Amino acid sequence: MRVSTLDLANFRNYAALHVEPPGGVCVFIGDNAQGKSNLLEAISLLATGKSFRAAREADLVRTDCPLARVAARVTTSSLEVQAACIITRVGEGARKRFLRNGRGVAYAQFLGGISAVTFMPLDLQLIAGPPAIRRRFLNVALSQADRGYYRQHVRYTGILAQKNALLKAPGGVDRKLLATYNEQLAAVGAALIGARAAYVRGLAREAAAVHARWVGDAPQLRMRYVPSPALPEGDESPGAVLRAFSLAWETHGAAELVRKTSLVGPHRDDIEFALDDHALARFGSQGQQRTAVLAVKSAEYALLAAAVGEAPLLLLDDVLSELDAERRRSFMSSIEGCEQAFVTATELPDLAAGSAVSVFEITDGRLAARAQT
Amino acid sequence: MEHLAPPLSALIGELEKLPTVGPKTAARLAFYLLSASKEDAAALARAIVELKEKVRFCSHCFSLTESDPCAICNDARRDGAVICVVGEAKDVYAIERTMSFRGRYHVLGGLISPIEGIGVDKLKIQELLDRVRAEDTKEIIIATNPNAEGESTALYLARLLTPLGVTVTRLAYGLPIGGDLDYADEVTLSRALEGRRAL
Repeated sequence: MRVSTLDLANFRNYAALHVEPPGGVCVFIGDNAQGKSNLLEAISLLATGKSFRAAREADLVRTDCPLARVAARVTTSSLEVQAACIITRVGEGARKRFLRNGRGVAYAQFLGGISAVTFMPLDLQLIAGPPAIRRRFLNVALSQADRGYYRQHVRYTGILAQKNALLKAPGGVDRKLLATYNEQLAAVGAALIGARAAYVRGLAREAAAVHARWVGDAPQLRMRYVPSPALPEGDESPGAVLRAFSLAWETHGAAELVRKTSLVGPHRDDIEFALDDHALARFGSQGQQRTAVLAVKSAEYALLAAAVGEAPLLLLDDVLSELDAERRRSFMSSIEGCEQAFVTATELPDLAAGSAVSVFEITDGRLAARAQT
Repeated sequence: MEHLAPPLSALIGELEKLPTVGPKTAARLAFYLLSASKEDAAALARAIVELKEKVRFCSHCFSLTESDPCAICNDARRDGAVICVVGEAKDVYAIERTMSFRGRYHVLGGLISPIEGIGVDKLKIQELLDRVRAEDTKEIIIATNPNAEGESTALYLARLLTPLGVTVTRLAYGLPIGGDLDYADEVTLSRALEGRRAL
């Protein structure tokens, strides 16, 4: 799929912008704080419904403006979609509305129309960083590929928040209410764990293949999903997960009451990476970790393409400059069938030969196409 | 709003506190009332005051009423063995409009939500249990909203009520009448599939 037009109004530092990005690789070049990432953020907002930066949503709206609008026309192999998101300031926060072909749709309905894989410097911490980064990765990837997953995840988060509030409630915990929340968490959690287990299996297979192509006979990339609760039987069927949940609560239920927080459930899942039998997070060199992250991102792209039946957009935010020339070329050539990629950089990176590259310069929220050299 | 007469800006300020009323609507309503007859304005003011003075909660089912117990609790033709449990008093009127329920009600006064500080003790749950123990209740129909809080509240009530030997049921999930199948969202549709019936 590709974006044929992108329009921004009062989004971040853009008062008004209209671009008709060509296919191939679009590189946005500019100094820091000129608005390069904001462009990618706008596209990603239309794909995932969320900003890829962990920021206040009100910040998406240009200073002193009541609302911002991001709209794009996206061409897929089968149809043309107009997607838009309107962000309105409400008090200190913001409210988002989504439109498809000019008609308002619910967030969950909106998801999946446009698909994009985002790769930014934070992703480089996927292996060695805290587990929250890996769970976020799973949630973003799965929500785009599977709308049902997104709904289940929202439900899970909601019930978990209620349970945690109950555990912290002054005046003691109503055990029957706690049991009610646990019953719901186990049922929804089993669905999440099943989906994550299947996804990581597919991702591991794909990432190992990409990795092996790059490194040859060197140690192989392995990934293992580590769910909470632990599944002693190694069986991710709903029945087995429900049994694991009740077993875990028998052991940790008292600790949850003491620590006043939920200790069991997919909100504590993790993924382990290894080269053969050596844990990458502990024993891998920085270079080995990077190569593995690239293989995983490339696999994420392939899996999303398979799930939506279409090559997704690729958004590379300031990440190519973090990679050496060889890794950069290997990664770009591993992304198969991509019709359009958006890249931000402070200077023009050396990309794989053969791809059509268009260069835009960004200065203070203004865009200018640079003549091809 | 210093340029407005103080009574006018005071009224606009009060109207703005109402749900779905923004500053523009509030101003329009206030100017309308200014132009309305004195009788109409007085009738509105009186209705609001009487609302607060005369409407109270039924001591039996906690629905809204002028007389206690309420008309529904007092109605001998209604089936006291079936109690429909709802979150808010306005839900009673929603079900009454169907004219197909002839049992009695119990209003919880909200839905369980520890995040908002609404614990079990803030709702009329103990009162419901007392009612079930004291009356010859056969069935409890739980008609809380089909959202996360409504769902949790329903499951919690089922946990408490089932041991008392009553049948606990929950309103069915399904498709809106007159709607198109392809407009239904996936969750509603899959719930409707789960709850399908033999013809």
